[in-house]
Amino acid sequence: MLKITNLHAQIENEDGEAKAILKGIDLEVPAGEVHAIMGPNGAGKSTLSYVLTGREGYEVTKGQIVFNGEDVSEAEPEVRAAKGFFLSFQYPVEIPGVPVLTFLKESLNAQLRARGEDEISAPNFMKLARENAAKLGISNDMLKRPVNVGFSGGEKKRLEIFQALMLSPKFLILDETDSGLDIDAMKVVAEGVNALRAPDRGMLVITHYQRLLDHLTPDVVHILADGRIVKSGGPELARELEADGYDKYVGRAA
Amino acid sequence: MTKLMTATPLEMALLKDLPRQDPVRQRLLDHGMPHRRVEEWKYSDLRRLSGPVESQGKISVKSARTLMSVPVAQKHSPSFMAALALSLGDEGLAFAVAAEAQETLSLELSATAGRAHKVLRFELGKGAKLTLHEIYRAHAGAFANILIQIVLGEGAELIRVIEQDDAPDALLVVTSDIELSPKARLHQTTLGAGAKLARLETHVTHQGEGAEADINGAYLIAAERHLDQTTFVRHCGPHGVTREIFKGAARAHGKGVFQGKILVEQGAQKTDAQMQHRAMLLDERAEIDVKPELEIYADDVACAHGNAMGHLDEDVLFYMRQRGLSEAEARTLLTESFLLDPLERIPDEALRTRLLGQLQTRLRGQS
Repeated sequence: MLKITNLHAQIENEDGEAKAILKGIDLEVPAGEVHAIMGPNGAGKSTLSYVLTGREGYEVTKGQIVFNGEDVSEAEPEVRAAKGFFLSFQYPVEIPGVPVLTFLKESLNAQLRARGEDEISAPNFMKLARENAAKLGISNDMLKRPVNVGFSGGEKKRLEIFQALMLSPKFLILDETDSGLDIDAMKVVAEGVNALRAPDRGMLVITHYQRLLDHLTPDVVHILADGRIVKSGGPELARELEADGYDKYVGRAA
Repeated sequence: MTKLMTATPLEMALLKDLPRQDPVRQRLLDHGMPHRRVEEWKYSDLRRLSGPVESQGKISVKSARTLMSVPVAQKHSPSFMAALALSLGDEGLAFAVAAEAQETLSLELSATAGRAHKVLRFELGKGAKLTLHEIYRAHAGAFANILIQIVLGEGAELIRVIEQDDAPDALLVVTSDIELSPKARLHQTTLGAGAKLARLETHVTHQGEGAEADINGAYLIAAERHLDQTTFVRHCGPHGVTREIFKGAARAHGKGVFQGKILVEQGAQKTDAQMQHRAMLLDERAEIDVKPELEIYADDVACAHGNAMGHLDEDVLFYMRQRGLSEAEARTLLTESFLLDPLERIPDEALRTRLLGQLQTRLRGQS
């Protein structure tokens, strides 16, 4: 489903200087699988999520991102979104004045139009929103409020998962979705993510800690250090990291 | 003020239009048309922006209701442009609402190419209510100068909604001179787009005690357009309330101006006046100039003003695009939600819906 080959990427700082962050990533996530990317701070985890979703200022200098057989390395963010990429942001942004439901309806319809499908009717959209909100314990009031404005950290993360449920993407990237969540909130979020597991959907879970993975049970765990994947293994790798830390991988990469 | 060296072609034409004995003619001769060295016109140089306007134009007023033709009332004028309209305005048009009566009036004021002046007068009797909807359409080559005189009797209520969207090479000045009697209520909202130069200048005087004025506006300025919204609110009576909320956005090569002055006279104790302007520059080649002023001579008042300027946030745009919206769609949605507030406050439901629809159309038509 997702095949990343020898991916190199750089970001530009405010002075226009380029800095290489990803230094040759090879990664394949087949449909139906959940892969975790773990790594120390500064390894390039968030950069990878932005490079995959096409954020401006994150430039692919070498290599390829192939999604369902198609090279999307140069595609605009909204084009990738319509093809099925969804990023649950580490820091979801506030959109003042735009209510959650308005935003999602516009987004969903934009994706449907881009794929040449019919737009969703207002009643069907509302029905879908109510069902998904109930799964995550999201109140009606929250759906009417501007996106993320005045939301707590936990509410923001729940709203990210709610958006994923609404947009039903083919490929989910969760960037530090567990950060800022207490145990109860994490369970709710993890249940939401688990509900999204499907044979035709891939997931990449980016995290610093193992605790979210306890709930999600990834098929493969990759360790990212200094812009490269230095080790891949089963779920036991996450537990090993939790016990021993990243020291030996940071050392090796440097 | 120094005498002008040479009159512009428009000034020459206006000097010919004005009667010899008219003091306005002398003012024009001495000072010329308003320009940037005149404090009130600092950001909107009417003199420089007005090219030659050779012919006489016409301002027609379309309405389902009949307006009375009245002689132009030579009362005091709040500005030079108002005085010019009083001197050169053809017939005056008036509409009166009797005490305790309720009326709705919709007007379309269109100006053809050429020089034209018009004076309209609205009088609301005690406890009267009027919903007034004005649409301004100045066509290519127009220099339209309009004075609107409004008097609200005691406890009268006026809901006034103004739509301005003129040709890119038209000049439009609308000066509103509004007097509020005790307990009168004004609720004014403008939706502006600009022109070569469009200036909506609103003077409100709280004559008596306990009057209320909401003066709101939303504006979206397209390329090569200039919109100036200037408000001057004078509190003379005590317990008066003024609320101003303006929100605007300008695209590349568009220019917006907001000037708001609130003057509280000595006798206007317990005045509660607040003025807020927020704007968004949609491109780095857009310009918005702001001048808020409070001048207070009473010692027991609550007055405040605020101003904020910003850009569309790149983080927000990326977030929205990641969910599937194109950059243009994301920008439109953000700009629309930013500008909604003043329009959502329109008390009349039909007009509120209409203006919100207008905003949508304007946003989608220009992106």
